[in-house]
Amino acid sequence: MIEQLRVKFARRGQAFGLAPSFILPLKGKILKRALQMGIGPKKNTADILFYGLTALASFTVLMIILGVFFVLLKESALSIREFGVIRFISSTDWNPVTESFGAATNLFGTAVTTLLAMVMAIPVALGIAIFITEVAPSSLKGPVGAAIELLAAIPSIIYGMWGLFTLAPIMAEYIEPALQSTLGRVPLLGILFHGTPMGIDILTASVVLSIMIIPFTASISRDAFNLTPSVVKESAYALGATRWEVVKNVVVPYSKIGIFGGAVLSLGRALGETMAVAFVLGNNHQITSSLFDAAATITVTLANEFTEADTNLYLSSLFYLALLLFVLSFLTLAVAKFFMLRTERRHSR
Amino acid sequence: MKRALALSLILAFTVLFSFGAAAAANTLNGAGATFPYPVYSAWAYDYNKVTGVKLNYQSIGSGGGQRQITERTVDFGASDAPLDPAKLDELKLYQFPAVIGGVVPVVNIPGIKAGQLRLDAATLCKVLLGNIKYWDDGDLKALNRGLKLPHEEITVVHRSDGSGTTAIFTTYLSGAYPEWKDKVGSGKAVKWPTGIGGKGNEGVANYVKRVNNSIGYVEFAYAKQNKLAYVLLKNAAGNFVEPSFDNFKDAAATGDFDPDKNFYLWLTDAPGKNAWPIAGATFILLAREKTEANKRVVKFYDWAFKNGDATAEKLVYVPLPASLKDKIRAYWKDKGI
Amino acid sequence: MTRARMRKLESVGALALCSLAAFAGLFWLVFILGDVLVHGIKALHLHLFFKDPVPPGMQGGGLRNAFVGQLLITFAATIIGVPMGILGGTFLAEYARGKWMARIISVLSDIMVSVPSIVIGTFIYALMVRPFGHFNGWAGAVALAIIMVPVVVRTTESMLTLVPWTLREAAFALGAPYYKVITQVVYRGAAAGILTGVLLSIARVAGETAPLLFTSFNNNFFSTDMNGPIASLTVTIFQYAMGPYEDWHRQAWAASFIIALFILVITIIGRTIVKMRYDKG
Repeated sequence: MIEQLRVKFARRGQAFGLAPSFILPLKGKILKRALQMGIGPKKNTADILFYGLTALASFTVLMIILGVFFVLLKESALSIREFGVIRFISSTDWNPVTESFGAATNLFGTAVTTLLAMVMAIPVALGIAIFITEVAPSSLKGPVGAAIELLAAIPSIIYGMWGLFTLAPIMAEYIEPALQSTLGRVPLLGILFHGTPMGIDILTASVVLSIMIIPFTASISRDAFNLTPSVVKESAYALGATRWEVVKNVVVPYSKIGIFGGAVLSLGRALGETMAVAFVLGNNHQITSSLFDAAATITVTLANEFTEADTNLYLSSLFYLALLLFVLSFLTLAVAKFFMLRTERRHSR
Repeated sequence: MKRALALSLILAFTVLFSFGAAAAANTLNGAGATFPYPVYSAWAYDYNKVTGVKLNYQSIGSGGGQRQITERTVDFGASDAPLDPAKLDELKLYQFPAVIGGVVPVVNIPGIKAGQLRLDAATLCKVLLGNIKYWDDGDLKALNRGLKLPHEEITVVHRSDGSGTTAIFTTYLSGAYPEWKDKVGSGKAVKWPTGIGGKGNEGVANYVKRVNNSIGYVEFAYAKQNKLAYVLLKNAAGNFVEPSFDNFKDAAATGDFDPDKNFYLWLTDAPGKNAWPIAGATFILLAREKTEANKRVVKFYDWAFKNGDATAEKLVYVPLPASLKDKIRAYWKDKGI
Repeated sequence: MTRARMRKLESVGALALCSLAAFAGLFWLVFILGDVLVHGIKALHLHLFFKDPVPPGMQGGGLRNAFVGQLLITFAATIIGVPMGILGGTFLAEYARGKWMARIISVLSDIMVSVPSIVIGTFIYALMVRPFGHFNGWAGAVALAIIMVPVVVRTTESMLTLVPWTLREAAFALGAPYYKVITQVVYRGAAAGILTGVLLSIARVAGETAPLLFTSFNNNFFSTDMNGPIASLTVTIFQYAMGPYEDWHRQAWAASFIIALFILVITIIGRTIVKMRYDKG
């Protein structure tokens, strides 16, 4: 009976242009399972249809990812041929007049804003997670956790607009001059804070970005902390450890892979954030030592220049940037996912 | 119950979208230069009230205007930088000017008011190239006897996005000062040797307002609306002139717009006695084969030329001189639009 | 003795810092939402919903076109994205449960959830704007749908997995084919969870700007024509906030207020459903 059906499937598969060798083992396994479940083959036509429909739908995810990659690759072919990979990544030139394009300034902007945002966000996010899991009375746990998650739901364009209208003037008038007159005086460190404080610069963009990723990082860390078995914590308390010592020596080491995964996930999110930085970064293609200078990330360059690009090579180079961003964030997210799966597996055991 | 719900949803959906499709014939889509956006949308608003036609103009920048009409994703493109006749033939486009504007260097030096600082092309270039670093430099002092200039570092503010404003400005600088042409050149976006970048005219205006001892360049309308301190420039006739309606008109009047060249003309360094040296027209681009849409676009501009001058002046734009309008109408007729 | 006190002090100090961090997080939330609330409510006006924009520099006008455009695009995206997401999640949780293929697709979906949305915008520009010859609302809807699909896939998958297997066995025993078991038994059991996933995915895309910039573009006039450029609230906010006119800034605040309100309400509803349905047990 199974054999008959398999042949039938194979014919159907061929009608759709699929090789029988691809269809047969696949459908065979599923069918065997279906039969084990007690589904009679006679009732199967509708079932097969439904099966096909759901399979098709879930494969669209795969198709979209491949589609994005190949379409971007095809669109950037012109630029790839012109500039190659190494030269494109290392060139700081972004000159529409001479049509010479390089991604280095954009990569610089993306890397610096993202890293700075991470540096500011992670300690706060960990603090929040520790507060929610270990410090807060249970009546506060829920509301604070929910409020932090609402922060994650606010769309990025609102962060950006708020950054431009509210945060940037505050940065320009108070925070940046204050930084300049204190840290700016310190030798070596000083180069980070020279120039005119305008509020529309790398520092402000990083602050907005860090506020955006705090909730993600916090809620993932909280979930990781919650996985620590209470038996382990209780035995530490029984040995006379203080609450902080339990956090420091038991909870954090126990969930460090999860935290790391969460941090990398936030990194992946921050890499691709557009609107929150587009308002306050200033969009200037340069590599600079000062945090008070404008810069450009890949995303901001795309948002500003994509409809602007007048020549084919220009547009193709923008597609090339999009491709770089896609690959970069895909890899980062894959690493994050890998670590998070590892914690999951450890705990399901 | 569920089925009825689904059915009514689908029905609502189709009705909604088929209704929308019917409305399409009454719309025109255009995109391009940011500089004329206020005046085009004001004209479109009035035109819609009179005729019911919806002319949707999106300001995405001059480069974008050229790109989108080349790819035929819009009914017309707009650009502050004219395309030369050869390029127009290659891309199969028509071109005509719609309104005049000018680029104005603006400064923010405490104690110096609008119209006090005098510059010529060479000094301006040296400042923008970073060769002149302080406001009390000898060259600047020589031009401005009697003006107290501070010993403060100059911050240059330029555009960070591709822009027709930059094209007009850098064309002027390249024409007036050879070193600029060699080192930077002209175009909608250039590689600036120094300074900070603001997005759009508004971004530059915003930065100049905020940063002391800075110099930037914006479209006239933005300088006026934001009350920025403009400078006096030495023009081709050797006079120091201020940016004003009359001086723009003077530049436009002496400019020789030639229909045979599709009006290709940079209005920089115009010869008139009081002509503002960095003036420019902003242009409309049409796809040659889109006969039907072109007729409707041209109808709109014909209407605007007749009824829109007051609106334009209210928004600080210089309407085209009557003689040029006639030339443009003849050009349309000649092209069979 | 002093050593014990030192340790205690250290503990109190460190935990106080953590509490401070939590309040810093809350501070930003209150700061941002408060700012949007104050500026937004000040700018709220009936004209905002019932009038179309007037040219810059002129007083008055509203954002009717953007509200309607945003609804149309989001609605169309939901119609495309939600069924696909639910069906895809069903495949992973039912037919392919435990298979390596299902695991790969679900990991990929998780990654897709965080893929930069602006990249999706460029992808759809190449796929649906340039070939069609004009910016169009459908392209915007498809871009948003692509962002929705993985969210719905993942929530559906995990919600279906929560439905006890014995329930299915009971249905099989009555002789029902698998698809009937899924649509009539499993979906019913997981309805609340799936609904939450759908709500959260709508909240996710309702505030997206980047994928719409190069797809549905923008329109100054009222339009329901999904084949042409169509206005959306988010793109309008971007344009208005960056513009030089005070009136634009006011309207951008008001629009942000409405969007934030919409998204927060949807998110809260979604979370409440989950809490009511799943936290009891």
